[in-house]
Amino acid sequence: MENRRINIFLFLTGVGGIIGIAAIIYRLIEGMKVTWLTSNFPWGMWISYYIYFIGLSAGSFLFSTLIYVFGRKELEKAGRLALFSALFALVAGLLFIWMDLGHPWRFFYVFSHWNYTSVLAWEILFYVCYIVVLIVELWYLMRADLAHLRDTSRYGRRAFYGTLALGWKSPATQEAREDERKRTMRVAAILGAIGIPLAIGVHGGTGAVFAVVKARPHWYSAIFPIIFLTSALVSGAGLMTFLYAFLGDRKAADYPLIVRSLADWLILFLGIDIILVIAEFLITWYGDIPESTTIWGQMIFGPYWYVFWVGQIGLAMGVPILIYLFGRTSTTWLGIGGLSVVLGIVAVRLNLVIPAFTVPPVPYLDEAFHDFRFAFRYFPSTTEWITSLGLISVIAFFFLLFYGLLPMVRNSEEYAR
Amino acid sequence: MEKITRRELLKKGSVVGVGLTTSFSLGKKGFAQEVGKKTPLPKIVERSRESNLERMEKDLQRALQKPLQERHWVYVIDVKKCVGCAACIAACQTENRTPPGVVYRPVIHEELGKYPNVTRRHIPRLCNQCDNPPCTPVCPVDATYKRADGIVVMDYDRCIGCRYCVSACPYNSRLFDFGEFYAKGKGFFPMMPYENVPTYEYKVNWNRQRGKSPVGNVRKCHFCLHRIERGLLPQCLVTCLGGVNYFGDSNDIRSLVSELISKSNVMRLKEELGTDPQVYYLL
Repeated sequence: MENRRINIFLFLTGVGGIIGIAAIIYRLIEGMKVTWLTSNFPWGMWISYYIYFIGLSAGSFLFSTLIYVFGRKELEKAGRLALFSALFALVAGLLFIWMDLGHPWRFFYVFSHWNYTSVLAWEILFYVCYIVVLIVELWYLMRADLAHLRDTSRYGRRAFYGTLALGWKSPATQEAREDERKRTMRVAAILGAIGIPLAIGVHGGTGAVFAVVKARPHWYSAIFPIIFLTSALVSGAGLMTFLYAFLGDRKAADYPLIVRSLADWLILFLGIDIILVIAEFLITWYGDIPESTTIWGQMIFGPYWYVFWVGQIGLAMGVPILIYLFGRTSTTWLGIGGLSVVLGIVAVRLNLVIPAFTVPPVPYLDEAFHDFRFAFRYFPSTTEWITSLGLISVIAFFFLLFYGLLPMVRNSEEYAR
Repeated sequence: MEKITRRELLKKGSVVGVGLTTSFSLGKKGFAQEVGKKTPLPKIVERSRESNLERMEKDLQRALQKPLQERHWVYVIDVKKCVGCAACIAACQTENRTPPGVVYRPVIHEELGKYPNVTRRHIPRLCNQCDNPPCTPVCPVDATYKRADGIVVMDYDRCIGCRYCVSACPYNSRLFDFGEFYAKGKGFFPMMPYENVPTYEYKVNWNRQRGKSPVGNVRKCHFCLHRIERGLLPQCLVTCLGGVNYFGDSNDIRSLVSELISKSNVMRLKEELGTDPQVYYLL
């Protein structure tokens, strides 16, 4: 039953992924002109997805530290899933920003010509360190199960698990295995503790990429990276609720408890996020500096009103809160609430990037020269939609593929049974 | 007076520290050829009463006799004189062969008052070549930097096209080359001969082709650096029919621009951001 559902999604994401890869190849050949970005609207959908996935990654990782560092044992089954989705989300985010480069094949210049004054350059370093921590932590947590799978399977799978286990052998006796498990948890705690500042740097820093830009009053505030972080936690908790509600082991006794506990965390983070957004809105509104208030006006009543009302208010805040209030008993509904947050945060990310460019920073600059590439308007082109959805499909495909192959939720003792 | 900020000091220090490697990587394609070579400067006909243009040409030649770090180029725009004819835009596009939508100096037309009591003013906006540019430190690959003579330049061969600097510019003076052509790609039009003519920005011939710099790069106004280093005034300035523009070396107290910017009717765009822009507007 569960396998068949995954297979359907594997097929769908596989087809979507193939179309997406074709679109990405088209974009790489044709260059940035396939987008509907302009010189005055330099960042659009791809950058929004970039910060979205970096946020999802940091959120999922910080969520996993609740388990491994802060000892929330009841959530332990969701731990590896959190780390695994953190890894995949980070890869997705990096692919999105790579696709957004005017010269994608020069991406390695950020290492060879690293500029220490650039927040973006520092971010790239953070991403690299973070990915290393993620992989090492995941390997430590999975190695016993990988070894077990290697020893119990044959042919291709044996080779696959053998490669991933890196020759690790679980100790023979039960006691030694228990010791080993404790040691693994300690390593996970240490790596998680190293990872916390890294993850904060990864996503707070991504917020700082925008927040340091004094040219854009919408971004230039100290609260901006903090909002990035809290909405990252919201999206991470939302993703975990969604994934665990639909991919978790429904037969396990603690399944409803875990889903409900995940939803509790989701609502807590959501509450903090709402407070921050309201604080920013009220202070901007009261101050009434035209450059800032016009942008809020554009966001709420402007051409992209639906992103704010449907996405940010509806999907990311309203739906999960209503579900939490009235449908808490059903794990399926809670899972849907998680999905709603995961989708709604896309709108939150769009609203962090897009409105900043809608108002000309020099008055009347929008009427100074008339050309499509000089406009202060933006809507993603067909290629941008297809590449975005395609890239997400590719990532979802590999996520599901590895989810089926790797010991993600169950551990070796349960495999043995 | 030249003010050395801490950032500059750090930058200079790091240049010395890293030594030869950095100096090689900073020795950009175009400027490298110019070292130790004097370009012949155009002859100026002496007249009893010199025009502003002639005076600026003399200022320019005087500045070029000095070493690079002692020059400091500034641009002055007399807003009263501008009629908004957009000839400077056309001249700039021709000189730098910019693709559609890439316009280094748009002219902002502002309508003031309420009908029937209305008037218009025209404000050309070019790169302010800020003395404290917010666009250069954000570049992740150090592809844009401020030269010793005050001009913020792009290294097309290094720019990865992330457009962070475009976001960081408070004047929207940076533009992205999306790789479009005026004729090619529009219906069945082939590439027009005029689109094959290379641009000579930064003293290098750049052939615009798909996937090759400057396509996919950020582009910006550089005060026609390739012209001024040869003793010619910026193209927008010499094209202007109203004599709106002035250009010269502000380190030279005898120059026309120094005279103009020392007056009281001078303002700059968004000075409050601390960017220290070097385009002055006369009111």
